[in-house]
Amino acid sequence: MIALEPVTVTSRRRRIPMPRWGGREGMAGWIILGVLVLVALLAPVLAPHSTEAIDGSRIFGAPDWSHPFGSDDLGRDVFSRVLYAYRASLSIAIGSVLLAMAVGIPIGLIAGYAGGWTDLVLMRAVDLLLAFPALLLAISLIAILGPGGLVALLAIAIIYVPIMARVVRSSVLVVRNQPYVLGARARGASHWAIVRGHVLPNAIGPALVQASVLMAFAIIIEAALSFLGLGAQPPTPELGLMLAEGNNYLTQAPWVEIFPGLAIALSVLAFNLIGDGLRRSFDPGQLAR
Amino acid sequence: MTARLAYVGRRILLTIPVLIATSIFVFLLIRLVPGDPVQTMLGIRATPDNVATVRAQLGLDKPLPEQYWTWITGVLHGDLGQDFISHEPITSLLGVSLPITLELTVLAMLLAVLVGVPLGVLAAVKGRWTRRISGGFVVAAISIPEFWLGIMLVLLFTGVLHLLPPNGWVPITQDVGLNITYMILPVLALALGQTAYLLRTTRAAMLGTAGEPYVAFLHAKGLRTRTVIYLHMLRNASGPIVTVAGIQFGVLLGGAIVVENLFALPGVGRMVVGAISNRNYVVVQGGVLVIATLFILVNLLTDIVHGLLDPRVEEAVAR
Repeated sequence: MIALEPVTVTSRRRRIPMPRWGGREGMAGWIILGVLVLVALLAPVLAPHSTEAIDGSRIFGAPDWSHPFGSDDLGRDVFSRVLYAYRASLSIAIGSVLLAMAVGIPIGLIAGYAGGWTDLVLMRAVDLLLAFPALLLAISLIAILGPGGLVALLAIAIIYVPIMARVVRSSVLVVRNQPYVLGARARGASHWAIVRGHVLPNAIGPALVQASVLMAFAIIIEAALSFLGLGAQPPTPELGLMLAEGNNYLTQAPWVEIFPGLAIALSVLAFNLIGDGLRRSFDPGQLAR
Repeated sequence: MTARLAYVGRRILLTIPVLIATSIFVFLLIRLVPGDPVQTMLGIRATPDNVATVRAQLGLDKPLPEQYWTWITGVLHGDLGQDFISHEPITSLLGVSLPITLELTVLAMLLAVLVGVPLGVLAAVKGRWTRRISGGFVVAAISIPEFWLGIMLVLLFTGVLHLLPPNGWVPITQDVGLNITYMILPVLALALGQTAYLLRTTRAAMLGTAGEPYVAFLHAKGLRTRTVIYLHMLRNASGPIVTVAGIQFGVLLGGAIVVENLFALPGVGRMVVGAISNRNYVVVQGGVLVIATLFILVNLLTDIVHGLLDPRVEEAVAR
């Protein structure tokens, strides 16, 4: 079920049904995300040390007050590196999903609203991309384009376009036959006006839920790519890369592995909680369960 | 029965264009590399003669449709080309690596099903606290990336408890016990997230059947609660569970790429990633083709099983 409250025709501004916070869990997710975004933005202010300052006296230094997450194999401060790494993680996660939405939502809208051959052709193309396991598709694209943060963003966006298109299409199929859409058409509204004013606002809910879940995955995929040496390159502070670099000294300096991993899990958790919250507020039927 | 066969037949026919398109994508993989792929592969020190030889060997000097035809006939005859570094045929590389990937993913999926489904049933039928705990477990488990979980498992089982080897691999033909020992941590790392997904799906599907009139009827008939749950409700809830398990298998194949690299398991994922850094495109091509094909076949199988479990699916397709 999708929230199908009809958009009032009298109001000038079409209101996109904005979700509520989505209960305690959703709220927790938004708060964690808010803090993480602040941390990423304020990294230059918050970081106690430079991310690249090599300190020979602190190689594998254990956590202490001035280095809460310890130091790595070059004596660099792990805490400062994690703060900066959030910038890359969050911007790639959010950027890739926004890019996928910008391409996938119009495809889904057109396919669902037009139907017929347009739908068939668009959806077959979309299904072909879905025929690949996500990470394998990303890796294949990186095999072609070469490793790098921007390539990772692009690869993740390409994986997500078909998912977005599918989700939007299926809710458009429901909305398209609603009385208010037929009414608008009878009134002589143009297709463009109907899609923009009625179909999109009523079909966007599931896409937003999907977006937050996809952002959670994007963080994992991006970290995985960097972990494999296919994403960001050293000496960039990046969470997956930090895990790969520290893995050889795991028992010697476990903090180099523990904290960046916790950082990944925390941001993924935030997006997952937000996704659950959004799902609930768009689908009150689930609340009963 | 004929409707059932027609459903299976139609589903198989629908898979063929997907396989063809996948093969075209994989074929283009080498050809889409910016610049001269052969030069990139061989490095700057390669003589023009070398480059010309390899190019001819790969058939890159012929028109594209002809190249595709030659390549795909080779593939269908079990010839995926040659590793240009070790000069071994790709198929013999896959002969070693594919069973490892399969062992890893199948064991992980098995573990996830054996743990996730019963827990999901439990979470659906027991009280509020079981639900809360299982809900918390699900959100936490799907938020932990499998490679970090793997690292933490190594830290615990190798670093602290000294119970299991941190990484490596022994062929199953050499020593079954040792082979399993090396597989435990990778399988655990890979299975946790899947367990959570299956738990969540099972719980939702079970709750979906709980309100159905037949459940009330079976209870009224005097059947034991356990029989109603495991024989009737679970059977009716199996559709979504099978579908999600099938979809998740793709995620598992992706996750295996990372886990194999973490635990130094010489599977297909490790082969592909290693080949990317060596610009060994023919190996990348072979590995990607095999994993993608496997994924497509699993999806096909999932749909067929789903259809057999729930006859309404074939009817919906036939209509």
